[in-house]
Amino acid sequence: MKSFVNKKIFIESNEYTYRVEHLTLEGTCSTDHGPRNVKIKNLLVDKYPVTNQQYSFFLKKTGYQPRDSQRFLEHKPNKKIFNLPVVFVSQNDAIAYAKWVGGRLPTDEEWQYIAAGPKYLDWPWGNKFNPSLCNHDGNKLESVNAYRNGESWCGCVDMSGNCWEWTAGIHDDGNHQFALLRGGSYFYAHDHWHVGGGARKNNYHWKLQILNEGMNRAATLGFRCVYDAK
Amino acid sequence: MMQNKFIDKKKSIDFSLGNLNLSLDLNKNVFLNELNFIKNINNELFIIRVENKLVPKNKYKIEKVSKNTDDNFTVISIDFSQNFEKDFFKGRISFVQKKKNIIDFIFQLSARWHKDIPKKVLLKFPFIINLHKNKNFLKPGDIFDGKKRIKKGVWNLHEYPPSIISDNLGIESLGFEFYDQFPWQANYNLGMSEAISSENFEKFETEVQLTQELTDIILMKIYTSFKGREKIFSLWKENTRKRYDLRKYHDGNNRWIKKNYLQHFMFAYGEEAFDYKKIEFKINQIIKEGKQFGGYDSILFWHQYPRLGLDESNQWQLYKYLPKNYKTIKKIVDICHSHKIKFFIPFKPWDIRSNESLDSHAKSLEKFIKETNIDGFFLDTMSSLPESFLKIQKKFPSFEFCSEGTPREQRQIETLTSSWDQIGDIRRNFKVDINSNFFRFLFPEHPLNLVSRWSVGSDKDALIKRAAFNGMGMVIWQDIFGCWLPFSIEQKKKIKSLKNILKKYHKYFYGNNSIPLIKTLSKKIICNEFSNSDGKQKIYSIYNFGSNKVNGRILKLPIEVIEFKQIYGKKVNIKIEKKQNIFYLLANLDANDVILVNIKFKI
Repeated sequence: MKSFVNKKIFIESNEYTYRVEHLTLEGTCSTDHGPRNVKIKNLLVDKYPVTNQQYSFFLKKTGYQPRDSQRFLEHKPNKKIFNLPVVFVSQNDAIAYAKWVGGRLPTDEEWQYIAAGPKYLDWPWGNKFNPSLCNHDGNKLESVNAYRNGESWCGCVDMSGNCWEWTAGIHDDGNHQFALLRGGSYFYAHDHWHVGGGARKNNYHWKLQILNEGMNRAATLGFRCVYDAK
Repeated sequence: MMQNKFIDKKKSIDFSLGNLNLSLDLNKNVFLNELNFIKNINNELFIIRVENKLVPKNKYKIEKVSKNTDDNFTVISIDFSQNFEKDFFKGRISFVQKKKNIIDFIFQLSARWHKDIPKKVLLKFPFIINLHKNKNFLKPGDIFDGKKRIKKGVWNLHEYPPSIISDNLGIESLGFEFYDQFPWQANYNLGMSEAISSENFEKFETEVQLTQELTDIILMKIYTSFKGREKIFSLWKENTRKRYDLRKYHDGNNRWIKKNYLQHFMFAYGEEAFDYKKIEFKINQIIKEGKQFGGYDSILFWHQYPRLGLDESNQWQLYKYLPKNYKTIKKIVDICHSHKIKFFIPFKPWDIRSNESLDSHAKSLEKFIKETNIDGFFLDTMSSLPESFLKIQKKFPSFEFCSEGTPREQRQIETLTSSWDQIGDIRRNFKVDINSNFFRFLFPEHPLNLVSRWSVGSDKDALIKRAAFNGMGMVIWQDIFGCWLPFSIEQKKKIKSLKNILKKYHKYFYGNNSIPLIKTLSKKIICNEFSNSDGKQKIYSIYNFGSNKVNGRILKLPIEVIEFKQIYGKKVNIKIEKKQNIFYLLANLDANDVILVNIKFKI
């Protein structure tokens, strides 16, 4: 598999009106869904989600070992799947990588701006869903650069479908801890009681309730990094 | 009107068929002796419309009237026919009596269509509509509060308790049951049981598919009682239960589920159940906190939903992802067992994948039982027990199944021996009503745990009262998939008190002699009666649903009272009064209060 550079894209600081929709099945998502004004600082953002190759390189260089390795990289990354997004990583695993590369995970608000931009696009590529621009119902993960035509306003690719992406922070409502996931995935479970699958709109997040690391990792859950810029 | 004749004078049900007027005489012996042919009543049995044309009612030709009787069985039949345009109708009305107090009224109809092309036929039943109009008519579960009929009894199964007409004293009573064997069956009873409960029954007109053979249209079971509506309920209950094979409930191996008064819903993703720092489940803490409710009898562990579907992992794989995988569950189960608490895990019937079957899930369950020693399987949205799971019970005889929905159909009720009585809907301004659950009284051996997951505040108070009023256990569910909705300290105390009462008086609450909505002496009081097997002691659950205090006579008691005491609820002043050799229960009961009173009778 031909490798490629996951280059960084500059995003100039701006303000936008954050408004998000969510589906938590039953229950609520105890965050402020807006509309509210949000300021985005100057950022660099990964063009693609972090790949297996990038994450393998990180492991090789740092010897990173999670405290709880249950399901960690359960898919066993190898050269054949180097360009696929790394999955089976918890938020802690993602943060460890991001720190090593000098970045961090995007906040929920930043992620939405990176995907939707100042024109508040519904999907990274525009306002109309187009299944040919994302891995929406593809039965398996695909290379992060497989849908380059589906790039967002700033040039970020694979923001909708393929794999969910962690955002920063653990939210705590006093009784529960949860994180917010973005973008949707290739996978579609069949029933309405399942987590809603497929590619997701820019203004959608899903509440992942945190448990042990084995439960926090999934075959459809990866991440991308952002970097504070001047 | 016919109803008044029945109630006040002749004790008869009258109706007409064209020029033929009939009266079913229900004298005090209530044996079906003869049909009286009377005149000048306007209470038609039925009206037929064929392709929107009314069939004239005066053209029916009586073909035959027959009567067969022996010591055990009486049948009276009237065969009639009618030509209408180029079609030909035949019908039969029958009365069948096999035992005292129960008479079957059967109406059948057939059609021979011109050129064998069926036409649209609509039927209307003025005779039944007139019953419905009677001022003393009570739809199933209704009571009369002095001004209007209000619903105070509910059920959720494919048996329909009878509608009742009583005399003004509430003593002489007739019950009318329209049994639906299968709710989607053509012709048979036409959804009458549901229709008669609706406000628009006067307009009830329904379509039938007629063939050349007589088809059953109406099968109305008439129950007769000279001991009030309580007796009608008992007759219906006895008659209905006869159809059921309830052996499984009385198999000694399943008895523990009957004492599952409090089930805790352990939602894994929250501070109540999970220690985020130690990365472990707080089972000891949960058990300790459960003592505030009187102690949990079982715990239902819940971690698959709403997480399932994030990737391809199925419901069983999610157990492997827990800390130390199955060993976590085994450890929790062992701790629960050391406190005599049973342990359930849930099944997600909606998560059966295309490469899976119920058999494969049964195998997974069997493996899980062997590895963890769990006691029960919660069936979630599935309220029936498939054969694959029934086989599990043969291997593990004390293993139990429970579902979130009360089973509705016969086989489900026979095999699934416990369930929730789940009420409520977050989206519809749901108010917890305090009323009688007829399923609970029809099948008292089937334990129900009351739950309304989204109810808070005063609705939680009402939920506890409803559980007490029906003598049933509860589900203690405070973390609703990530919304923390706890019970207050006061509510916990009330639940603890209720659990202790259910435990102490188990034989009363789960015996077979309980009756819902017995007659009371106050229009704002409803009452259920629970009785031990010899009838020497009874528990009355009493609820003042009015907006004012009720002070005075509440119940007329069947016989002489030896002892009485209030066993649940805010302490009220209760007394027994004897007047002209009749015993009355008096109480000073606040509005919206539920109390339970235990009375010992002299027999």
